[in-house]
Amino acid sequence: MRTRLFGLLMAFAILVMPFAAFAQDDVAMGADMAEACPAPANLPESITIGAVLTLSGGASVYGTTQQQGINLAISQINESGYLGEGTTLSIIFEDSASENEQAISAMTKLVEEDGVTMVLGPTLSREAFAADPVAQENGTVVMGVSNTAAGITDMGEFVFRNSLPEAAVIPGVVAQATANLGLTKVGLIYANDDDFTVSGYNFFRQSFIDNGVEIIGEETYATGDVDFRTQLTNLIAAEPDVIAMSALATEGVQIILQARELGFEGALMGGNGFNSPAVLEQTGEASNGLLVGAAWNIASTNPLSTAFMAAYEAAYSARPDQFAAQAYTGTWMFATALRCADSVDRTAVRDALAGLAEFATPLGSFSFDENRNPVHDPVVQVAQDGAFSVLGAE
Amino acid sequence: MDILRSIGITEPVIQFMLVNAILGLSIYLTLYTGMFSLANAGFMAVGAFTGVILTQEAGLPLGIGVLGGMALAGLVAIPIGLPVLRLHDIYLAIATIGFGEVVRILILNFDPLMSSITGQTVALTGGALGIKGIPKIAETWHLLLFLGIAAYCIARLHRSRFGRAMAAVRQDERVAANMGVNVVYVKNVVFILSAILAGGAGALSGHLTRIISPDGYGFDQAVQILAFAVLGGTGSIAGPIVGGIVLTGLPEVLRFASQYRGVINGLVLLLMIVYVPGGLVNPVGWARLWRRLRGPTPDA
Repeated sequence: MRTRLFGLLMAFAILVMPFAAFAQDDVAMGADMAEACPAPANLPESITIGAVLTLSGGASVYGTTQQQGINLAISQINESGYLGEGTTLSIIFEDSASENEQAISAMTKLVEEDGVTMVLGPTLSREAFAADPVAQENGTVVMGVSNTAAGITDMGEFVFRNSLPEAAVIPGVVAQATANLGLTKVGLIYANDDDFTVSGYNFFRQSFIDNGVEIIGEETYATGDVDFRTQLTNLIAAEPDVIAMSALATEGVQIILQARELGFEGALMGGNGFNSPAVLEQTGEASNGLLVGAAWNIASTNPLSTAFMAAYEAAYSARPDQFAAQAYTGTWMFATALRCADSVDRTAVRDALAGLAEFATPLGSFSFDENRNPVHDPVVQVAQDGAFSVLGAE
Repeated sequence: MDILRSIGITEPVIQFMLVNAILGLSIYLTLYTGMFSLANAGFMAVGAFTGVILTQEAGLPLGIGVLGGMALAGLVAIPIGLPVLRLHDIYLAIATIGFGEVVRILILNFDPLMSSITGQTVALTGGALGIKGIPKIAETWHLLLFLGIAAYCIARLHRSRFGRAMAAVRQDERVAANMGVNVVYVKNVVFILSAILAGGAGALSGHLTRIISPDGYGFDQAVQILAFAVLGGTGSIAGPIVGGIVLTGLPEVLRFASQYRGVINGLVLLLMIVYVPGGLVNPVGWARLWRRLRGPTPDA
């Protein structure tokens, strides 16, 4: 009897221990997927992935932090035995020198000569347009970790990205801000002669309608205008809770200053063009309450994000940026796809990656949509006294 | 082929080598005539955008696209060459850098500019992101054929009366003029020929890289083209071809050096310039280097 009880206890302990090990450390990257997918048994001893980054040339500042983010993820994946006993993940970095031609050569070398299982990068959107078809034709997964231009994943079913395109940020910002601040009435202002601002206006308009916010007025101006008082007076007369601006930074700064000058005290909301410390410097106190979206912010309170920041600072004695966070997340996503596929077959890995859903990452809960574009909540930043902090953080 | 592939010279690298060899030839023509022009990146941009718009928007075959790119680059060269070629040396270089910037910024703003002129929405050059999703329809044999024809024509040109006039203009413009050479005519024709070659190279490369954007044809590219000819040597037609091939292949071969790649690449180029100053295709320079390495000969 006693031995049987002991045996049951032992069996229970053996079954529960692996989960308990993760449970006590629930902020560990990949913990949720480790539960969803069993430890892989069929992976080879070493798996090599590749990365095409701008390690030199004009965009080298981005490629270097991406490389650090990837290296951090690789060492964590290997130390935690994420890919199962005896399987190590290694990576070949290739420099694109910020040139399309070298990105093509680097991609060709990785997928045709080195035969890597998957490729991260290239850093720049234009390099991705040049080099990703090489991987697509070869049937190798390539995932951009910093490509935001429209149309990247239209190149084929093996092309992914985990970096939020501009069009995905605005709906998330509107949804979060509406919920957090209880917005009911919005006034819109935008330049009607610019692709970027017109498409931004369309996203703003649709998102406010979807969130049940009443649009009390829409005003337009032309790029290069300096006086927005007429339009702003019309909007402010209807007493909106928030004025949303689809503008470039130059005009945006003036709109912020003049709205405050006309006595508007509600919230302001801007597109990607406002995600810059320069806008805050030029507007000072007037930009208090300005809401801007981003894929990741250093002030994020997501526990995986703070864990990533601590590990990054310990490894490199520097603070990570959005590029490092997205590259780090991308590497973990590749490892998770390998773990869940339990195979290095290109198509199996691709399907596993495309099937990733609600993966807990430093960027938030991450899924791919049907076009292999990222779906996760952007961080909504709110400006206060010249600095961005995360909305609802306190 | 397998040996080449194993050292990093894959097919795309060979294709870029050939494109750069053509670009080397285009600047070789102006250098051979004594003109220090940095306009070739601008002509390359004209050729690339014209060629790609012809094949993608008008649905014409690659051959027509390349010919169209060459033709427009040549046409643009006529009004540019007439005033600018009165300048010499570094002044000519600065003026042609200016031309390159004008081309780049015009392409960048082409769509809104044309939209405001015509009153309709024009979407041809795609602004800063350029034209993307261009099918890769240029093949290695297209490039080899183009390079072969260009090299043959230049070789024939050298032996012609016009070719000797080119050399005369390089050595001394005033003497050449006194001997009855029409200096203005020679310089302008060479400038146009050089633009046509650069335009062809641009149109072909546009169908290799799948995307063309104005920032690919800036000052960096202009200096890069100059480097093909200077490193290869401007003494003979083989010089710029070898220069284009070596300068394109070297960074790829050096990929094994990972983070030291840039350092080694720069060091190799520096040593080449210092020890074989006339360029790689320069028997006199190699002979001088050989003598220097062997040390003083007993009978010297």
